[in-house]
This record gives sequence, structure tokens and C-alpha cells, in this order.
Amino acid sequence: MNQAAKHWERHLPEGKYGAHLFPEFETRAKAVSAEILRVKSPAEARKALLDLVQSLQAKKAVAVSCALQEKAGAHEALRSAGIQLFTGRADIAEHAATADVGISGVEFAVAETGSVCQKATAVEDRLVSMLPPVHVAFLDSSRVLPGIEDAFEVFGKVFDRGYISFITGPSRTADIERVLTIGVHGPSRFVVIAVDDAGGEGR
Amino acid sequence: MAQDKSLRKRIREKLDDEVLRANLGRFAEVYPAARAKAFENVPNLEELREKLRIMKLDTIARLDEIADRFQAEAEKRGVTVHRARDGKEVKEYLLALCRKSGVKRIVKSKSMVSEEIDLSKAFAEAGLHSRETDLGEWIIALAGHKPSHMVMPAIHLSRYQVAKYFSTEMSRDIPPDIPFLVQAARQNLREEFLQADMGISGANFGIAENGAIGLVTNEGNARLVSTLPRIHVVLMGYEKLIPTIRDAGTILRLLPRGATAQLATSYMTMISGPTPTMVRRGGRWVEEQKEMHIILLDNGRLKAARDEKFKQIFQCVRCASCLNVCPVYTLIGGHVYGGHTYVGGIGAILTAFLSGMKDFKKINELCIGCRRCTEVCPGKIDIPGLIEELRVRSVREQGLPFPLKAAFENIFANRRVFHSLLRLASVGQKPFQSGKLIRHLPLFLAGLAKDRSLPAIADRPLRDRFARVARKLDKPAKRAAFFSGCTMDFVFPETGESVVKVLNDLNIEVVFPEEQSCCGKPVAALGDIETAKRIARMNVKAFEDAEADVIISACPTCTETFHDYGELLKDDPAWAERAKKLSAKVREFCSFVAEEYEKAGRLKKSRGGRKVTYHDSCHMRRVLGVHVQPRKLIEAAEGCELVEMKDSDKCCGMSGIFGVKYADLSMPILKQKMDNIKATGAEICAVACSGCMVQIQGGLDKQVPGVRMKHIADILAENLEKKK
Repeated sequence: MNQAAKHWERHLPEGKYGAHLFPEFETRAKAVSAEILRVKSPAEARKALLDLVQSLQAKKAVAVSCALQEKAGAHEALRSAGIQLFTGRADIAEHAATADVGISGVEFAVAETGSVCQKATAVEDRLVSMLPPVHVAFLDSSRVLPGIEDAFEVFGKVFDRGYISFITGPSRTADIERVLTIGVHGPSRFVVIAVDDAGGEGR
Repeated sequence: MAQDKSLRKRIREKLDDEVLRANLGRFAEVYPAARAKAFENVPNLEELREKLRIMKLDTIARLDEIADRFQAEAEKRGVTVHRARDGKEVKEYLLALCRKSGVKRIVKSKSMVSEEIDLSKAFAEAGLHSRETDLGEWIIALAGHKPSHMVMPAIHLSRYQVAKYFSTEMSRDIPPDIPFLVQAARQNLREEFLQADMGISGANFGIAENGAIGLVTNEGNARLVSTLPRIHVVLMGYEKLIPTIRDAGTILRLLPRGATAQLATSYMTMISGPTPTMVRRGGRWVEEQKEMHIILLDNGRLKAARDEKFKQIFQCVRCASCLNVCPVYTLIGGHVYGGHTYVGGIGAILTAFLSGMKDFKKINELCIGCRRCTEVCPGKIDIPGLIEELRVRSVREQGLPFPLKAAFENIFANRRVFHSLLRLASVGQKPFQSGKLIRHLPLFLAGLAKDRSLPAIADRPLRDRFARVARKLDKPAKRAAFFSGCTMDFVFPETGESVVKVLNDLNIEVVFPEEQSCCGKPVAALGDIETAKRIARMNVKAFEDAEADVIISACPTCTETFHDYGELLKDDPAWAERAKKLSAKVREFCSFVAEEYEKAGRLKKSRGGRKVTYHDSCHMRRVLGVHVQPRKLIEAAEGCELVEMKDSDKCCGMSGIFGVKYADLSMPILKQKMDNIKATGAEICAVACSGCMVQIQGGLDKQVPGVRMKHIADILAENLEKKK
């Protein structure tokens, strides 16, 4: 179903994206309460994920795998730590609403707004990133585009059909007296594990 | 008249509503800076706004083609698209869909279209369980209120009021603690998302290229509404259509920054075609293709799209930036300055097309034409201009109310009658006059002069003094005809004299055509174009006969109105060319003098002295684009030092007749201006517009007695006197 949108990384604008844009992305993302954990390797990513999940005292997690999670051995690590982990579609449908944390990958980040971009046509991608109170997103830190219009250059080539989201921090509202409250219907915590040595292309 | 009273009463209620005043007031304070900060990393904002405007105009020009393409692309991907003529059709479609698909429970994310058509009521009547999931929308649904703001619908409520509504709804005591309230909403609505058969959302845009829709949200509810239920319905007005995927990028860069001063909302989602969902079948979770419907609604939009002037409203991205800077809206909110669904300036226009002219006319006088909205509208819509055009059309179709009609035709358009009445007033006012001001009025009129002294009509108007003031020059460099405007003629003749002195000093001969009268703006602003034309012809004739090189006006509104005579009379062959020729000669005083001073090397900064602050008249700044030159004149004036006030370009609250007719609204706006002037520590507040002169002089007299108002012409003339 998603054939046209399979390999987004092949359509990233040559020479326009890179890790040099990461600091700007990080600053803007943090300004809107996103938590950014930048790590140098998949091994460090595994540790960061475990530390986070333990600090949450999480018992149950749902995850949609991606290359970075695989390289980091994330799922084995979570299970070894005693976390109940569900990765199959039907299991995710059953458990996402009661899971403590949802884990997925995101395609790229946008420096202009501090956003990440999620390819979310698969229903499980949406369930893990919408229902649990904490959403952890794995990102290749070299895949940072300068701005929204650059992101749309990519979409112009890959977005034939399906579901795409820019995610910028956790859910929020200011509907009562304009007082900002983080965490409404979506996650109340949004954590990006950004991996430097992502180990090259191919997903 | 009965309607008028009720509007006045409702205005008074809102002005006395402490919760609304606090919430909206705080917001109005912080919004301009917050918005500017959000746009800091958009280096080419003007280009971006122009891009949006052009994109939308192009879409309207090919609207049928774009709508057809959108439908075709969506249908190709498995979406059912229905084009609805009106709300009735939408409701019939949805109720039939619910019956056919066994839908009992519905969750809705924010959709203004759904409010426009009273969808909730229809669902309730059909016995369907439907829930608002947007926090603000849910709150007002519980309260039984309409939205008072397009982006923050519950901004008129306090946490205490929200807690009460929640407590009733959830049958338990909910404390007025905001994070707690939000959590309570999350818990309460979570089950609704999980159990719903159908999710209804709006759309912030619809992309023709791939039949996609966009959702720009913060709470996460639109994502749930478009993911969990097995049916997703999108309600969308035609104005949301855009041609390509890349065009959405333009909207996404403008909408969040304008609406909530965010670089991006938490979730900006695009959906093309139905997506998979999980449903329970026979005790197991099964993946199924969702059923997706998009309903494209007309309800009056297509009529606007075909209108040469009003197609502009398609440039609206529903960001509410216009509301956030509107001096009137930010005082009274959308329950008064609003129609059935849409509020504020753009709301008034949308109401005209989607609800009808009758609803528009209830609120249309609330726009004071200050044009602040035009500076922030991402789509560059001429909101005040469109409101004026609606008034013109209304008058053309239904005429003016009789008293106004009588006044306009028999007084304003008849110079002798008008001026005689003014002279009579100068006599009749004597019991209440105290020098140049009327500080106290009797009985029921007392309120009119409470926080603002009214100006007295001068004993001797400018036209009676002119011969003595104007100097005969040997070899004048130019011949100027002075268009004083009625206020400067009859209320501030000394300022008129100052104008003459300053021009004479520049070796410019000045003449005062006696047949000149009111520029016609008060009449035109209320839509009486025919009387405005009559007045225009009188003034054109008067100034033709003067045979001047340049026509000087020291009031920007009169300047603007005279400039527009060419356009106003363009369909009258006997006058079109003549009006155009004259309009080209009209110059506003400050910018003209600053140019002449600069040529003569007289625009250098002086040594300083008394603190002088400057108030930008709305028409001077946002119509004529003049704001640098008046400041240069002040800085160059001997003994003067310019200090800027906060919000120098915010309306003083006069806006012609508005300042008297809607004194209740004019006073709080004036108060803000007084506070800002006071805070500068200046001795003098300089202005360059007759209307502002009345309002600011009156306000200073009652509220900041240590500060004096002066027209820039007066400052310059005084310095010339000192030099002698």
C-alpha cells in the first residue's frame, strides 16, 4: 500500500540536510518541551532507552521497529529488563491504550520548527505514538532538513497516499485561561533518541 | 433602534465582564510580541504572505478545476467525496451514513463547519451519542455557549467556571486547578475515542494534487479521531482547497505562527486516502481499511468566490490573527463582535456570506477601520475595505435608516446648512463651554464627557480667519490650496492657521477655497456612496477653481478621501478626469513639509528639549504609509525631543462617529492610549490627524492633565514664532 513512500531517505534534498542542522533542531524542540537524547552510537541508544524506561518505572511498552531500534538491540534490551513488550499489530491494538510507553522511528527532523516527521500510514505507527503517555522516537541525527519547505520538497516526491505527521513536542493546550498545560489527549512526554553513528543507509 | 439598544447593553456587559477582560486583555498585550518572535526565523515574511495570496487567487480562478481534481484524486484513493450545497444537505448525508453503517457513537475534533451548520443539535435530535474532543470546544459545549474566539473558543471562561461545568458533567467535585482539569478531560474523553464508531474532523487545507487533507492541532485529539474509529468524516469548506502538496508548506509556515505564535503546532498531519484501522471482530483484532468521507461545503462560499471583491475571503486560513490585534474585539470578544459562528473582522464578512446580511448588519459598525488586522493577516485580506464594501452594498440595496439618510443628504451634502448648524452650535454650547473644551454636560448626556472632554466649536472658524493669517508673497515658489476638513475649520482653526504659517514660511502661497466642505468620509464609511459622490463633486469644483499647484490637507483621513475621489467618480464621465487630475495634486501636510525641509537642509536633529511623544493616526500610518516623516519633524524641531510610546500605532478610539456613537467602546481604547502617553513622561503628545486631536485632547484633559496635545503643524508654527 505504501510503495511510493517506502524510501524517503532517497529523496532527501542533496547537500541541504545534515547533522550540522541538529543543534538548531534541538534548541527549537527543547523550547517546546520535547526531550532530546543525543547519543553517539546504537549501543548508547540502547542504554538511553533503558535508562528512560526504568526512570518511568514502565511495565508495559509497545513498539514499531525501525533500523535504529534493530541496530541498538532495543527490543531484546527491554525484554531483558523485564518490560512487557508488544510489537505485533494485533498486540499493539490490544495494549497501546494501557502501555506506559510507545516507541517508533521517525524519518527526519526539521530545524526551522524543532519538528520530526513521522511516516504513519501503518496503524500501529499511529497507535504507539498517540495512545501511551510517553512517546519515544528514534531519529538518525544526520537527517535534519533546514525547513518546512524542504520537507515538502520531499513530500512532493513521496506523498502519494497515506498518513504523515509533523510532531513538535508533546501534546498541549492553552484553552483554559490561556495557561499552557502539557499533555492532553496525546502523549505528555515526547522523547527523541537521536543517534549519530546510525550506520549508513538502508532500512 | 431596539437592536441597537440590545447591542449597547451587550457591549456594556462584556466591558464589565472581569474574566473576559482579564483573559482577552492579557492575550492582546502579549500577542504582538509573541507573534513577532515566532516570525523571527521567517526571513521573507512579506514574500510568504504574497505567496499565499497568489496561491489562493489562482485557486479561485480555477476553482471548479481544482475542486474536480481534489475529488477525483481522493476518490481514486478510495475516499467518498460529497459536495454539499448547504448545512441541511450535510446533516442529511451524515444521518443517512450513520443509519447505514450502524453508527451510534461519534467523536469530533475541531470543525468550524460543524458549528456553522449546527451539527451537534442534529445528532442530539437523532439520538446519536456525539462528543466534542477539542478541550475548548468540549468546555463550551458543556456550558451551552458559542465559541468566543476562532482558535481559543473558551477564552471567555475562568478555571472556576470550567471546574463547575466539569463537576456537573462528571458528577463529582472537580477542583479549579488547570492541570487537573486537563487531566480530567483526558480521562473522561479517552473512552470516547476508543469506543467511537465514527470520527469527524475538519480540515485546515485540502490538496487537489493527491486528495489529501491537513490537520493542524495541539491536543492530539484530531489524530485519535482520524485513527481509531472505523469511519472518518472530514467536513471542509471550499476555501480550504489548495492546488499542490507543496502549497501546504506555505500554509503551515504561516498558520501556527499567526494563530498561536508557535513555530509549529504539536501535530501537523496530512492524510491522503483511507488508512488502515484495527477493529475487533469475533474477539480478535483485525486490520481493516477505514471508510473515509470528505464533505465539501458551499453554504454561500461559492457566491463569494465568484465576486470580484469578495473572493479575497478565500485567502483566510482561519488563524484569527485579525481578532488578536483588533482594538474592539480584544475588549468585548466574539459573543458580541461576532455572528453565528465566525467572529471579529473576518467573522463579520464571513457572516454576511454564510449567515446573511441581516446578521452582518447587527455587528458591522463595530469595525473601526483602524486596519491593524491588514498588517497581520497571512492572506493579506483587506478586511476593513470589505466591511465598507458590504455597507455600500447594503445601502444600495436597502437604503440608509431614515434619520441618517436625512442627515447625510440635507446636512452633510449641503455646505451652507452644515456650516450654519456648526455656527449655531458654537452659540448653543456656551453654557457648557469652558474655554476650548466642554467638560460637563447635563443630565443624561453627562456620560459623554465623563472621561473625555469634548471640543468646543470655535467662535470664529478658520474660514473667517483665513484672510488675516495668509500672507501675500512676492514670488511664491508654489501655490497651495488648503483643504482643511470640517474639524480643523470649525474646531481647531488655530491649527489651520499654523498650517498656513508653516507653508508661507516655505514661500508657498496658500489659498482657501470657500466652497469646500466635509471631505465626505463619515458618509462614505457608512456606505452612502451617492451622497459621498455629491460631496466629492462639490469639493472637486471648489479646488479646480483655486488653480493650485498642490492641495494640502493636514488630516490623513481627508487626504485619503480626496485621493479616492478619482476612483469614486470614475463612472461619471463629466467628472472622472477632473477628479483624477485633482486627486493627483493632494498631499498630506507632514510628509510634504518634511520633504521641503529636507531639501532645504532643515530636517537635522535639534539639540533636544521638552519630551514629545507621537501618536500614529491609523489612516496616516496604514493607509498613507507615513510614519517616519512626522517623527523626523519632531526630532528636527527646536526644543523638542522625541520619545516613543508603547503601541504608538494603536487606534485612539475616535474613528469618526464611532467615538461618540459607541462611547462605551471608545473610552477603554482611549484609556489605553492615555496610559501609554503617561508612561513616556512626555509633556506633549503630538498628532497629525483632526480626529485624533479631538479624542486625545479630550482624554488628556480629563485623565492626564499635565500633558498637552499638539498637532505637528502647531509645534512647527510655534517654533517659527519664537524665531521672529
